Amino acid sequence: MLSVLIQKELKAIILSPKFTATFIICSLLMLLSVYIGIQEYQNSVKQYDAGKQLIDEGIREATSWHSVRYRAYRAPDPMQIFVSGLNYDIGRWSAINSQSMVKLRNSSYTDDPIFAVFRFIDFTFIVLVVLSLFAIMFTYDAVNGEREDGTLKLVFANSVPRARYILAKCIGGWLGLVVPICLPILLSILLVQLFGIPLSADNWLRLATLIAAAIAFFTFFIILGVLISAMTKRSSVSFLLALVAWIVFVLIIPRAGVIVAGQILPVPSTAEVEGQVQSFSRDRWATFYTAQEERWRERSLHNNQSEGDLSAVEEEKLWKYMEEDDAARKAVQQEIDEFDRKLNDDLRHRRTAQERLAFSLSRISPASAFQLAAMDLAGSDIALKSRNEQAMDLYRTEYTQFVQAKQAESGPGGGAFTIQIDTEKGVSIGTPRDQAAVDATQLPVFVPPTFSFSDAAATFLLDLGLLLIFSIVAFGGAFAAFLRYDVR
Amino acid sequence: MSELPLQSTQPMLEAVNLTKRYEDGVLALDRVSFQVRAGEIFAMLGGNGAGKTTTINLFLNFIEPTEGEARINGIVTHLEPLKAKEQIAFVSENVMLYANFTAIQNLDFFARLGGQTHYTRDDYHNVLLRVGLAKEAHHKRLRGYSKGMRQKCGIAIAILKNAPAILLDEPTSGLDPKAGHDFIELLASLRAEGKAILMSTHDIFRAKEIADSVAIMNDGKIIMQRPAAALVDTDLEQLYMQYMAGRSSELVG
Amino acid sequence: MLRILIEKEIREIIGSAKFAVIFGACAILILTSCYVGARTYQANRAQYEAAKAENLRQFEGMTDWFNIQQHRIFLPPQPLASLVNGVSNDIGRTTEVWGRGELSAQDSKFGDEPIYAVFRFLDLEFMFQVVLSLFAVLLGYDAISGEKERGTLKLSFANAVPRDKYILGKIIGSLTALTVPLVVALGIGSLLLPLLGVPLSGDDWLRLFLVILTGLLYFAAFLTLSIFVSARTERSSNSFLVLLVVWILCVLIVPRASVLLAGRAVNVPSVDEIAAQKARFQQQQWHEDRASWSNFKPTKSDDPNAMMDELNRYMEEQADIRDKKMQEFTARLNEQRYNKQVEQQNLAFSLARVSPAATLSLGVTSLAGTSITLKDHYNDEAKAYQSLYANFMKEKTGTNPGGRMFMFRAKIEDGEEVKPEPINPQELPEFEYHQPDLAQSISAAALDMGLLAFFNLLFFAGAFVSFLRYDVR
Repeated sequence: MLSVLIQKELKAIILSPKFTATFIICSLLMLLSVYIGIQEYQNSVKQYDAGKQLIDEGIREATSWHSVRYRAYRAPDPMQIFVSGLNYDIGRWSAINSQSMVKLRNSSYTDDPIFAVFRFIDFTFIVLVVLSLFAIMFTYDAVNGEREDGTLKLVFANSVPRARYILAKCIGGWLGLVVPICLPILLSILLVQLFGIPLSADNWLRLATLIAAAIAFFTFFIILGVLISAMTKRSSVSFLLALVAWIVFVLIIPRAGVIVAGQILPVPSTAEVEGQVQSFSRDRWATFYTAQEERWRERSLHNNQSEGDLSAVEEEKLWKYMEEDDAARKAVQQEIDEFDRKLNDDLRHRRTAQERLAFSLSRISPASAFQLAAMDLAGSDIALKSRNEQAMDLYRTEYTQFVQAKQAESGPGGGAFTIQIDTEKGVSIGTPRDQAAVDATQLPVFVPPTFSFSDAAATFLLDLGLLLIFSIVAFGGAFAAFLRYDVR
Repeated sequence: MSELPLQSTQPMLEAVNLTKRYEDGVLALDRVSFQVRAGEIFAMLGGNGAGKTTTINLFLNFIEPTEGEARINGIVTHLEPLKAKEQIAFVSENVMLYANFTAIQNLDFFARLGGQTHYTRDDYHNVLLRVGLAKEAHHKRLRGYSKGMRQKCGIAIAILKNAPAILLDEPTSGLDPKAGHDFIELLASLRAEGKAILMSTHDIFRAKEIADSVAIMNDGKIIMQRPAAALVDTDLEQLYMQYMAGRSSELVG
Repeated sequence: MLRILIEKEIREIIGSAKFAVIFGACAILILTSCYVGARTYQANRAQYEAAKAENLRQFEGMTDWFNIQQHRIFLPPQPLASLVNGVSNDIGRTTEVWGRGELSAQDSKFGDEPIYAVFRFLDLEFMFQVVLSLFAVLLGYDAISGEKERGTLKLSFANAVPRDKYILGKIIGSLTALTVPLVVALGIGSLLLPLLGVPLSGDDWLRLFLVILTGLLYFAAFLTLSIFVSARTERSSNSFLVLLVVWILCVLIVPRASVLLAGRAVNVPSVDEIAAQKARFQQQQWHEDRASWSNFKPTKSDDPNAMMDELNRYMEEQADIRDKKMQEFTARLNEQRYNKQVEQQNLAFSLARVSPAATLSLGVTSLAGTSITLKDHYNDEAKAYQSLYANFMKEKTGTNPGGRMFMFRAKIEDGEEVKPEPINPQELPEFEYHQPDLAQSISAAALDMGLLAFFNLLFFAGAFVSFLRYDVR
């Protein structure tokens, strides 16, 4: 009996003109979104490679480590084809040097705001907005539509248990909608293959899980439609209710969660924190320079005693002074770094707390749960920024150590110039310590943070579990509602 | 309009060689001619697809005739549709009406649309009572109405237009026997007022009971047309079945 | 006759449950978006003020204007930007100003606080573009085909009703019944803004009014489109399906697809490439300069102070020359990129304007001052401030501090160090951001508003013509 009922459901869905139209739209949208994703990914890879190449060229042409402007680039991930997430909102690179802290700059949207005007559509967006809408369009009249057509009475004129009927509704609807949708999904994966995007085993695993999450999300809306139709008598009413539910779940709750969290846990802006760091840094430098000035005054008193040419000994002495100054400068730099790190850590903690609250609130909606799961899986989640910045920060230490070691080898003062003012000989300017080229053979290479399935699993499993719970609750609701449904 | 040409010799409704061939080549109506005078009820009988509704649609100018013409009080409908429509009221089969409006609101809208702006609320109540709709339903939205109640509303709308000619497309479908009987009486009283009535129906018994003239239609043709007086002793049903059987045997042969 | 038809249309719509639910949802959403906009504005304002104060605070206690470095200006939050976000969250807000050189804004809101980028914002533009258009479709898809299904079309046309009057009554009636409540909700939402602490100038009110007008034109376009489609289909389920497809195309596909196409058609050099070229040129300049410094010969060689001054002057001259060369070079590069970008934008937007949704988006962002030109506009404003700042610094220090440089000058008179006076950071010229001219904004939006009006007319005419030939049976 169950199979008879399921077969009828399947036929009712697949043979309707509504189905053909929506199926074609969904397929086209999915393929288009993946095509766009591939284009954007290829662009990102090109940009990434070009960026790295420019850095190498810069090093080759440099005459001292001082003039090297090193940048660490955030590496593109093929998963961004399916889930663009925050990829285009977060800066693509950070300058790496001893003076400034790591900070991601130049996001794609900042560089080319044209893409920000209409945003990207990705696979996640299609699932989130379009598929859920379609799920509702197919199931909003699952039960009450049959009542209106009079077929419900006919069915229950036979000895059909209600439980079996509603079970068949859900299973039939699920099969009728989910199975066809798998076709464009497979096609889009094929498209990725056709464009020769290399996918690692880990990528495949993440992709498969992403699809599972998408199906779980889709399932929720299918069952939600059945639930609403089992709670109302007229299909016009259930359509409206379903639409309102859709708007609330997909459009309102996710955003509202963030806004509420922003109100409860305010976070100071980056500009404000940077301002604090700068005033600290200014204070430190002011003391440093006063001390240095004092030192130089003393030193010049010494120098003044021996008049005449700057002997080799004198010059060596000068470089020694500079070394001393350098050490003092480094100490100050470190102090500032520490202060900066402390403030930034604090900011990061507060932000994390805010994010956690926002996401917990918005997870009331399966749409947010799905979106967060997708972003976690693709590694384009909110931690993308801190993950990269932390890796770059580690690299920065490595880099500065390397550069300092190199500078120590070639002696201090690379890239510096000397100005001598002498009452006898006038002013002379020299660049005594520049080299023809720098030796970058042992420069440590920035390895972008790796992100794999296991990193995503913890948060992702929570969201997938939530999606399943939502579906089960909706199913339970539909079941209970239908047992008491007035079939007349 | 209210001065009805009771003794007029000019037919109120007249079909002259009315022919309709659809774009897909189907001949829906084939040279149909008949006349309905004031104070006369003309019933078209026939199965589905016989051309009854097409005839009514041609009178309403919902479609244009391929050949021939439909005239209302001498006005050719497809030439002067608006003028012609001032002369007719229409009751359609299974009308849903505006579900969000009450019966009174529906009546008010259609009455004013038909140019009858002088009615008061009492007039609406009276006409609804006349078609047999209980008073407590008058202010309910039509959403909760049964098929029969909606049909009564549709008839009330037609009465309110107070036109000399009335077209009815399967008016008794959905009415219970009591309501059907009342409806026949209502038609008789409208005839007494001098209306020319053209109705299509499946209902042979009712047609025989009330009609002044009956036409049996099949495949777009009138295959038999008799005045009611000539039918008094005839078993109309038998005649109908006979004709239909004849047609089908023709088809088989 | 027309009056009867319009009246019936209004009554029927307002009396329906569909309208009540949809309008309730709309009203809540509109009020929410206004509330959210106001809160966002206040939060942004507070952040802005804090950052600005912190920026000035770091100069306190300084004794020499010469030592001011890292002077930063910030893009102040605009009241309308919180209602119509546009690209305001995507572009950099903080600009470091030096006396000379190129300026580049950093720290976009979304880059800084990606949490807001996760689910994007819920602004008025979004409400119009996505939600209201969907509602227009829902309210209009069965305008004609629904009447046919209920048999009322036949019943109406059994009367002496001209078709043109009927469709006219239909369109006017639906437009009135649906826009008037919307206007009320939008009006209340706008009036809430000043109560929620968003200061709106007379200029802003006019802009807001035009934004709402554009939104209503867009809503009306979708409504007439729905009536048009329903006048071309026999069954309301078909017209709904067709409209849903059209909606998805207009709102989701066409705008993005056109940007994609334009991106393929016009190749804009990447920012990184250009930055690298600039860096290389600068380095080259620097090298050449350093080589030439040894040519410096002071005229007076007896007074170290005079020599120092002369050297300073020489260095500044050099810096000016270098700066000028650099400026020419970057201007050329920037212009090339800019031209390409404009070409790309024009192509993308022309294509996208096929869709009313894109037209709306471009129109309202122009009006709110958050269109794609915001980035350039902010940069221009910052440049204007840069020259102001440079003049100020020249006046205060005698030279234009063009780079990141620390200089400590101790004034020694009679062997005694003179205790210097601290500077007053408040003297620094303040950065005042001016929104693009109202007239300029309006002329930018005029095309889009005109286009939306044209869409209305087009769909209206379509509905009209289709209905004249509609099979009412």
